[in-house]
Amino acid sequence: MLRRTCLKLFVGAVAAMLFAPVARAEDKELNLFAWSEYVPQAVIDGFTKETGIKVNYETYASNEEMLTKLLSGAAQYDLVQPSEYTIEAMVKKDLLSPLDKAKLPNIKNLAPEFTKLGHDPEMKYCVTWMAGTVGIVVNTDKVKDDIKGYKDVFQPKFKGQIIALDDPRELVSWVMNVKGIDINKVDDAALNEVKPVLAEWMKYIKIYDSDSPKDKLEAGDVTLGVVWSGEAAKLYQKDKKFKYVLPVEGTHLFIDSLAIPKGAPHKDNAHLFINYILRPEVSVLISKEFPYTNPNAEARKLLSPEDLANPASYPAGNPKMEIFHDIGKASADIDKLVTDLKSGG
Amino acid sequence: MTPDVNANFTVTNRPPGTRGWLLMAPLMAWLIAFVVGPTAIMFVYSFCERDDIGQVIFKFTWENYQRIFVPEYFWIIGKSLVAAAVMIGLLLFGLHADDHLGPALREKTIFSPAGLVVFLASVAGYITMREQVFALTTGGNFLKILFRSIELAGLATVICVVIGYPVAYFIGRASETSRNRLLMLVMIPFWTNFLIRTYAWITILKKEGLLNSALKSSTMHFADALQYVNYHGTLDSLIAWIGGHVLQFETLYTPTAVLIGTVYAYLPFMILPIYGSVEKLDNSLVEAAFDLGASPIRAFSNVIVPLTKPGIIAGLLLVFVPAVGMFAINDIIGGKKDLLIGNVIDQQFKQARNMPFGSALGIILLLLFAVAFFFTLRKEKPE
Repeated sequence: MLRRTCLKLFVGAVAAMLFAPVARAEDKELNLFAWSEYVPQAVIDGFTKETGIKVNYETYASNEEMLTKLLSGAAQYDLVQPSEYTIEAMVKKDLLSPLDKAKLPNIKNLAPEFTKLGHDPEMKYCVTWMAGTVGIVVNTDKVKDDIKGYKDVFQPKFKGQIIALDDPRELVSWVMNVKGIDINKVDDAALNEVKPVLAEWMKYIKIYDSDSPKDKLEAGDVTLGVVWSGEAAKLYQKDKKFKYVLPVEGTHLFIDSLAIPKGAPHKDNAHLFINYILRPEVSVLISKEFPYTNPNAEARKLLSPEDLANPASYPAGNPKMEIFHDIGKASADIDKLVTDLKSGG
Repeated sequence: MTPDVNANFTVTNRPPGTRGWLLMAPLMAWLIAFVVGPTAIMFVYSFCERDDIGQVIFKFTWENYQRIFVPEYFWIIGKSLVAAAVMIGLLLFGLHADDHLGPALREKTIFSPAGLVVFLASVAGYITMREQVFALTTGGNFLKILFRSIELAGLATVICVVIGYPVAYFIGRASETSRNRLLMLVMIPFWTNFLIRTYAWITILKKEGLLNSALKSSTMHFADALQYVNYHGTLDSLIAWIGGHVLQFETLYTPTAVLIGTVYAYLPFMILPIYGSVEKLDNSLVEAAFDLGASPIRAFSNVIVPLTKPGIIAGLLLVFVPAVGMFAINDIIGGKKDLLIGNVIDQQFKQARNMPFGSALGIILLLLFAVAFFFTLRKEKPE
């Protein structure tokens, strides 16, 4: 009898160990799937400290990679961080869950120009995290030329000195800008025009990197780069010799947002997190570590004049820039073109 | 031979009973779950389509394979086979003309004329194929990338054999205590994660990295040292020349860096199996070869190499096969510039979101390995 009781107790204990903690922890967890080099650890720690919610932070290096993992269903994400054109595609495919604005009072802190955006005019699905541009970093110690646009970068004399984003759509859009083609009108005719120029340009590129191109620029392995503005802003903070130039031919303005995928297991926690990062004092932490363009008007008031004067974060004047739109099946054509060019040695 | 030994011999040859299968069960389960299952999924995916957001649609298509193959391939393969055949014909004709070499052709060592014929014919076929592939202007990218991957892996494997064989031989012939210590040295790198070890090469190879600064400072020290023997400035011009010619390498983010990284990563997989064979090598056979008047080269090629052949073949496979599919090293220290087949497959699953095409590439690679493996086994059988 005693033996059987012991056995029952043992089985019960094992069952408790297997199920109970999982059930309880589910309420206190948040699966965040975001860009690498984009979410400061301090923000995650602060959120966990305040709410007791554990954040599982997983990273990706491109929108496409994020979509692949999300669609594979291998992991259940509560919060993703897509760019504007990916939001468009995800809304089309009904992959995002609408936001509950009542749970996001801090939304009022956003600057008005970031509340009515082309990809989500009513902010039904996403809240802007950061915005930025793609532009040229010039190591002015090594490069004495006056670099104004892509044409000045991709020249034979800079062969082996250039780092570029490892992103087929970006690469193609730079050539389209130079050729004066609408960067959102990707068709066979446009790609045929892009191909020979891009083939030439790619001969000059030494490294492709979307994760952290600033390291290679800082180490002196390359002297010119076409990179995200936040990377450029960090380089400028470290050393003023790294000049950021918005290409005269025009560039891509990207807007990254937080959004909740359909079927996310912890939607409430995701709302809590969004509301948390919308606080000015939290948003400013993100800006300090990753100096992209902060969409939070209240947070910008907390930034130092020096931060606001960083040309990579807050470009002066009225540069020519455009957002990407979802181009559907054409993205596969772009990928094929770039793969072909990379292998055509 | 005593009857006992004979009995044992038949026992071991008995087909495995229930107990044998039970012992095999974990391995079988593992193989089914992680090899057969995924391969089956990959096979099915390779005939599917993708929608514009990258999801797999289960609709039959040849499209993915059509993208890999262009009709020119058949021409190219045909021409290469002809080139190889012509080479074989010429060599056989030349060799048979000399009667003494007839029996030698059937000799079973790697340095034999038969081995030479096969080797030269393959080289001829390969060179023909390579020229044709790289002359293709449209299509053929898959073949180009495959060639690049195979060449890199092949070169890495050859370097691994050249470096690894003497090391393995030395360890295998050492006394037992030092043998264990030396083996430990081979294993130590495995204590650190492979990716971290690859990242470490950045620090060594970068423009202002350890290699270049070491070269610079040692050259400068040498120039300084020369000052002490610089009698009445006779060496001034030499010192100035040395100071102006500091050897500096720009290796990082080039194919050379990828080759260095690959050799570094896979070298232990060459050393360990060869060591296993060398350790079992019967020294009396080597001594016998010398007693019978063999030169060191002949003893090595006709006795030592054939006896350690299983280790060499295992090492070749363990290095070459993973090296062909490798992509992480190229990502980290190659600048992702010259794509390898592993990079392309990796990209199809991540950035391009084209799982069906990635699967088709994977299946083709798998088939190539299967064919190569089949031929290796067939060649081994007669022994």
